[in-house]
Amino acid sequence: MFLEDIPLGHKATLGSYTFTQENIIKFAREFDPQPFHIDPEAARDSLYGGLTASGWHTAAAWMKVMVAHRYAQIASGMDATQENYLSPGVREMKWLRPVRPGTTLTYTTEPFNKKDWPTRPELGLLLSMNEARDAEGKLYYSFVSQVFIAKKPE
Amino acid sequence: MPEHLRFEDFTVGRKFTFGDHLVTEKAIIDFALEYDPQPMHVDPVAAKNDMMGGLIASGWHLCALAMRLIKDGLFDDQTSLGSPGVDEVQWRRPVRANDRLSMEAEVLEARSSKSKPGRGIVRFRFDLFRTDEAGKRQLAITYTSPVMIRKREA
Repeated sequence: MFLEDIPLGHKATLGSYTFTQENIIKFAREFDPQPFHIDPEAARDSLYGGLTASGWHTAAAWMKVMVAHRYAQIASGMDATQENYLSPGVREMKWLRPVRPGTTLTYTTEPFNKKDWPTRPELGLLLSMNEARDAEGKLYYSFVSQVFIAKKPE
Repeated sequence: MPEHLRFEDFTVGRKFTFGDHLVTEKAIIDFALEYDPQPMHVDPVAAKNDMMGGLIASGWHLCALAMRLIKDGLFDDQTSLGSPGVDEVQWRRPVRANDRLSMEAEVLEARSSKSKPGRGIVRFRFDLFRTDEAGKRQLAITYTSPVMIRKREA
């Protein structure tokens, strides 16, 4: 599948990730050891009133479900694009609600624009709006991803 | 932690330099196996043949490591009350095994919270640099983010 083949405005479900006290603390001990991410007792007295996942954990979990989703597509023959997806960065990351132990977030992605990349004319940039919602549909996290996708060879 | 920084210390234009972290091949692979298992992040042999020319760290791993350097070098347990998000992350250059990482932070904006007397919002630019084995230092990622910061007199 090339950039030209990807339809805009179509929302796909990538997968779900369950945050547990164990994986919240494990991630935060290594990367974001603030009291409200690693210490359930100290977290109770914090602004958040309890343990919450690091925003970077919520972000990394998107990548986990995204990669699994792509490889499932490749394996099923639906998508024969490149194995590695490079990105120049992301925009408008919004951590909208604290993510508590026991929360399962379902991540979706919806392409909304394509752009040229002047220094790499064989590639284009696909912009997508990504969201993470709980079982009730409440929005916890959103951001705009930008991924390089090969264009159709001339 | 050199000092216990609070809102009053983050004056616009002030810059902070901190952090020295060695990236190992094991750390790159361990993070990626959990969150971003693309060949360029987990398979040194396959990575050699692709466009990046060798194993590189996941961009999300770099964001998480930047957070760790910020927690160790800029914020104590009480400085930050969390962040509502990130305006933009740019992944500028790949980080490879045996690179050393360091940080620069610059205060772009600082304003008191009107509704919450004990804190303010500080918008930072965070730059993560890589220094390779030959000693060349380059910007690896840069991002801007508002952070809720505790006041000293609170």
